[in-house]
Amino acid sequence: MVSDDRSPFPSWPAAAPAAPVPALPAAGPWFLARPNLGVLIDLLRSDGRTVIGPTVEDGTIVFAEIASADDLPAGVGDVQAPGSYRLVTHANRRVFDYTVGPQGPKRWLFPPRAPLSVGHRDGGAVTFEPAATEPSRLALIGVRACELAAMGVQDRVFLGGPFTDEDYRARRGNVLVVAVNCTTASSTCFCTSMGTGPEARGGYDLVMTEVDDGFVVRAGSPEGADLIARLPVRAADAGLVVEASDAVARVAAAMGDPVPTAGLHDRLLAQWDSPHWVEIADRCLACANCTLVCPTCFCSSVVQRSDLDGKVSASDRVWDSCFTVGFAKVAGGNFRTRYRDRYRQWLTHKFATWIDQFGTFGCVGCGRCIAWCPVGIDVRAELMAIAPPLATRAEATPVLPVAATPGDYVTGRVIAKRPETADVTTLVLGDLDPAFLAGRPGQFAMVTLPAFPPLPISISRFGRDTIELTIRAAGPATAALIGLSTGDQIGLRGPLGTSWPVDRAVGHDVVVVTGGIGLAPLRPLLDALIAQRNRFGTIHLYYGARTPADQLYREELRGLAARGDIDVQLIVDRAGEEWTGPVGVVTHLIDRATWDGSRSFGFVCGPERMMEATAEALEARDLSAERIFVTLERHMECGIGLCGHCQVGRLFVCRDGPVFSLPQLGDLLGREGI
Amino acid sequence: MTLPTSPAPTADPIAALSASWFGAGLSPEAVARLAGIAELRDVAAGTELTKEGHITDAFSVVLTGRVALRMLVPERGMVTILTVEPGDVIGWSAIVPPHRGTANAVAIEPVRVLELQGERLRALLRSDHALAASVYPRLLQAVARRLAATRLQLLDLFAREEWGRHEVQPW
Repeated sequence: MVSDDRSPFPSWPAAAPAAPVPALPAAGPWFLARPNLGVLIDLLRSDGRTVIGPTVEDGTIVFAEIASADDLPAGVGDVQAPGSYRLVTHANRRVFDYTVGPQGPKRWLFPPRAPLSVGHRDGGAVTFEPAATEPSRLALIGVRACELAAMGVQDRVFLGGPFTDEDYRARRGNVLVVAVNCTTASSTCFCTSMGTGPEARGGYDLVMTEVDDGFVVRAGSPEGADLIARLPVRAADAGLVVEASDAVARVAAAMGDPVPTAGLHDRLLAQWDSPHWVEIADRCLACANCTLVCPTCFCSSVVQRSDLDGKVSASDRVWDSCFTVGFAKVAGGNFRTRYRDRYRQWLTHKFATWIDQFGTFGCVGCGRCIAWCPVGIDVRAELMAIAPPLATRAEATPVLPVAATPGDYVTGRVIAKRPETADVTTLVLGDLDPAFLAGRPGQFAMVTLPAFPPLPISISRFGRDTIELTIRAAGPATAALIGLSTGDQIGLRGPLGTSWPVDRAVGHDVVVVTGGIGLAPLRPLLDALIAQRNRFGTIHLYYGARTPADQLYREELRGLAARGDIDVQLIVDRAGEEWTGPVGVVTHLIDRATWDGSRSFGFVCGPERMMEATAEALEARDLSAERIFVTLERHMECGIGLCGHCQVGRLFVCRDGPVFSLPQLGDLLGREGI
Repeated sequence: MTLPTSPAPTADPIAALSASWFGAGLSPEAVARLAGIAELRDVAAGTELTKEGHITDAFSVVLTGRVALRMLVPERGMVTILTVEPGDVIGWSAIVPPHRGTANAVAIEPVRVLELQGERLRALLRSDHALAASVYPRLLQAVARRLAATRLQLLDLFAREEWGRHEVQPW
């Protein structure tokens, strides 16, 4: 059995260098007189495209469908400052004499709600079909350099990694981009620091720079060149070209470099405990405005819309925000209750852990989060107020699960059910995709039924043709799973996540410490140890439960203890007179044990606070931190590191975990609010 | 291949005390002085060694077997709060005023203890400051360890949230 604690996913490959603008026979520069801009819009419409351009709506300049050049914000500008956005009227008739509105092209490419799949449930049978997307052909006019960069960032997130977001791919492939170089900047702009503007450097079909009487235009793709051939343009004379490039250079000079980014990643990640997070939280309202206006924020949740009897249920992906109250919630509590934790999560992701994840910053310097923050929190000032250690990440192995992406499920069938305790039941699943049978101890599956949210559930046994899921009733979705009957089907994705490094422990002693339902993800590890018992030294199993009645797999534990070659110690938090075993916390037993842990591997699973105390007790018995492995529990929606919910610093629990070594987590284990 | 978790029984109080967790943290002189007033005692399962609220007569080090610390909760009966495993102590209230037991210590299997009479032990600690300087930190450590463990227990980490108590949960 191959098993290790490395992620089963390939990480994002290094980004290819940005493609240079192709050499096109008639790329320009050309001059398009302002009265002829309407011709461009008509051409795009006659090519069957819906034209999305800047237009004044509700006191802002937004991207919306436009019918003609009359819809453009002629003579309208914007004045932006922290917590402030106002439209102003200009004496000139320029149409791009503003900076950026509250929403960039994200809304059109990664809409707030997109269909994922439709599930059907007919008696015990369930089926899932991916939702189809047929986006209309769009032309986006007036896209700024920072917005092009943001599209590049989202391309990297959704198209550049091991999994492709089909909805995004379909929309993105149908877009023609007419970019505009900025000849004005707001006080909130900092694209110069993020290296994204103010001049567009590729990724467009046409790019325009506005001058007094019209536009200096260049083509950036064959499709752009074809448009130019059909436009009433003339070659731009040198004076105009210089006027245009000077205007852009003046904007760059005016912005300066407000956020020096060299070393920012390491500087920021060294500041988990900065008192400044508290200070920011005193002002932050956790309203999520910054994430909603951000052109790169992509966190999402999966919501279900089902008919009343739960037979047909559509799954939609909807925007979510790391600032919302439920974002980091699990059945037992919330990992980021405090505003300071949410702000820290957002800022460290944008400017540090995004680089670990995708190789780029998650910020393009558009300044929207500054202007649209109701209390005027200025991310540039906060970054500079928080100041300097290095990120390492587990190497990834390219083993892919089945039905990896959130819209996609395979099915399994319940072939047996076993009650374990009053509120815990084990389902035995058969009829499985072989990928599940090849899973490794510690991995989990995303499990779903139509009309219920998908849940991450540890695989508690890998049989020859079956897997087992041990589920505790924590709410309606888990109750529905537990309520299934033999023969019923279930939706599955996986197996996902990292595994216990069984092979590395060969030749060593093993200490397994667990509590409560934490025994479930360790059961396949115990199976693996027993299957090759003579390849390991002594094996100790310490299992804590709330009461004797809360112990899982009681018969199996008795069987393990009866073997004589495994030291099985069961302890409970509270008991009546009938219990003659030990009472107390599980570390109570480790403290009093006499074995030497210097040759041991420790595998620990339970509530985070218990794992912390256990890791301490194991280290006190001379286990080295590198040989102590723990699992983390976090809210998961996608299971592939893309929905953002399970992020812990630079790690994603679904992808880099759930099994981690202590040094991998460093001081993140048991830290509040991460 | 279960490893022994308690020292093998011995009839020699010095050897027995030295081999215990409690005794391992004392100076050799202190071990000898304590052993001088200690007696090995075998108690049958079900024997009460201390009683909550009653004067504790003796301080003991458990050598073999398991002792439950229990408290009576009306309508719930006797609740076991903690078990004392070999090497640890029972009856520390024999040393600490007001010398009243904080729980019922009940042997839940045949238990062998090394027992020191409270009054003699207190007199010895009063008269021998070097002994007191060795015993008190160790005693405090034993009690502190129990306190820390009790706090973790108090967190009730394995309890599940009642659903619907605060809001509707999706899971």
